[in-house]
Amino acid sequence: MGSRYLARKVVQALLTIAFIVLLNFVLFRMMPGSPDRVLARNLPETARAELRSRWGLDKPLIPDQFIAYVGSTLRGDLGGSYKFNGRTVVDVIGDRMWPTIILFGLGELIAIVVGLSLGAYSGWRRGGPVDYIGNGFSLVLYSMPYFVIGMLLLIIFATGLGWFPTSGMFSLGVRFQSFPQQVADFAWHLALPLATVAIGLIGQYSILMRSSIIDTLTEDYVTTARAKGLTEGRILRSHALPNARLPAVTLIAINLGYVIAGAITVEVVFNWPGIGTLTVTALNARDYPVLQGIFILLSVSVVLANLVADLIYGVLDPRVRT
Amino acid sequence: MTSRPLSAGELRAERWRLRARGMRDFGRRFARRKDGVIGIVVLAVFAFLALFPSVLVGPLQTATTAPGLPLQPPSLEFPLGTDDLGRSMLNLTVHGARISMVIGLLATAVTVLIGAVIGIASGYLGGRTDTVLMRITDFFLVLPTFVLALILAPIILDLIGTDATILGIPSTLFVIIVVIGVTSWASTARIIRSQALSVKERMFVARARVIGGGGAHIMWRHIMPNVLNLIVANTVLTFAGAILTETTLSFIGLGDPLLPSWGVILNSAQTSGAPGLGAWWYFVPPATCIVLVVLAFTLVGGALDDVLNPRMRARR
Repeated sequence: MGSRYLARKVVQALLTIAFIVLLNFVLFRMMPGSPDRVLARNLPETARAELRSRWGLDKPLIPDQFIAYVGSTLRGDLGGSYKFNGRTVVDVIGDRMWPTIILFGLGELIAIVVGLSLGAYSGWRRGGPVDYIGNGFSLVLYSMPYFVIGMLLLIIFATGLGWFPTSGMFSLGVRFQSFPQQVADFAWHLALPLATVAIGLIGQYSILMRSSIIDTLTEDYVTTARAKGLTEGRILRSHALPNARLPAVTLIAINLGYVIAGAITVEVVFNWPGIGTLTVTALNARDYPVLQGIFILLSVSVVLANLVADLIYGVLDPRVRT
Repeated sequence: MTSRPLSAGELRAERWRLRARGMRDFGRRFARRKDGVIGIVVLAVFAFLALFPSVLVGPLQTATTAPGLPLQPPSLEFPLGTDDLGRSMLNLTVHGARISMVIGLLATAVTVLIGAVIGIASGYLGGRTDTVLMRITDFFLVLPTFVLALILAPIILDLIGTDATILGIPSTLFVIIVVIGVTSWASTARIIRSQALSVKERMFVARARVIGGGGAHIMWRHIMPNVLNLIVANTVLTFAGAILTETTLSFIGLGDPLLPSWGVILNSAQTSGAPGLGAWWYFVPPATCIVLVVLAFTLVGGALDDVLNPRMRARR
């Protein structure tokens, strides 16, 4: 890969992250009241003055407080939570990260495989029965907020049929059982939220891949391949698909920001103990430090995912590596 | 043909004649798109609900005027059942149409206004202004704007208080509208900028500059009308997005319980545990409305895009 392409993309990502950190500082200072008044509500004035000087709040906003803020952010110190007494933001968020990563990692994976295949097939057999039904379903799913899909699955398969649990990640007392039983219990709890995420994403990815493949099929090189007498399957596999994949990669990365919005709500519906439910808890308690930590975490993840997508794009399409 | 210059009145009449012909043409081409027409019909129904909710189902019911018992399933008296306070779901859903549509409309207006101004200015002015504006736009494109909206909304609410009204709008709604607008203009700006870039190179812009037209005048009278097609198609699609964003923000608890949009109703369905109690009628009506409206906007937007921007048509 061209090192200039790589360098440019990395610098762009770093600049964006710097912007995010700056924005976070500004947002935090917009808040009503000084942080010490909120955090140390019940302490006498002398103790608060002591805290203010320890936190550097008696120094001017710019440059002293800003430098201190950037320094601590870089060190990974995002401050303490208001709501979860005595715990740091990093600690609180860290606890909730792996349920979200499992749920959305797996969901994305299923959706990418199923959604892209479905979209490619619908676009290729445009106007056929799969396209007709698939496109209709995708459009409806596309218009449906994730949590509505979740509520429907919940009421049908958990409340109605009783096949799956309605909430949480583990059954009570399961930690006294053997490891395979714990894994089975986890998978049982995971099934419905995972299905919700995957179904929600499949609609988007299939619409995206379908239009991408339709675009590709009108290109001259496809006509050439057809004129050479290649079979339809061969045209699709070696000429149309590799090129149609390119916009899909970019769009999946751009979509990630929207996926996160859905992510938060799905977790709320199933009471899944991840970042999403934490966000709502923090929101209701107005736990700003935790909210800001979540904001930094999610934004930086999305920026990094975009960087990875750009790099994959560079591997798949040699033309952009200049 | 005589080359007598047209009088002002004739000129105006000619302009109207052309405009009417354009509209007829547009109507004929749009009518050929079946999905777009279906979308328009659905939207007309919801517009009717939003305009006359009290005529159709009576005034909005509150906890004190609730006529039924909590969580009654659909019956003759309550065709869509009741919520956990005993309010008729039919009443709530129809009133929700007005609140959701108004928030969607105003948020779309803010989004498109910001996007159009930045897009046109960036495309027309070019140079350093363009670079700076597009850097900011890219930043907002990459950022998970929903998370930003989610932090901004409570901060602004804490700053101005929840009881205030701004421009006649309750502050809770105002904040949601502004937050959606401020966080979702970036893709509109991008699309409009690319069109403005090409319009700017056309001869009539050079002519306008030669006869002494200033930047603001050219952008408003010459660039804007020529990117209007894109703005219109984009507005319709933005509307769908705004309704979804409002629904999601309200669902996680940023809505105003006294002004129940569909998202707020879904939030109370979730917090009262309706899905776990099997009370499907609590969330199916508002959810169906959201899906129908968003789907209708998407269909209309797609059809408009095809009809108004013919160059893209060959690709579909």
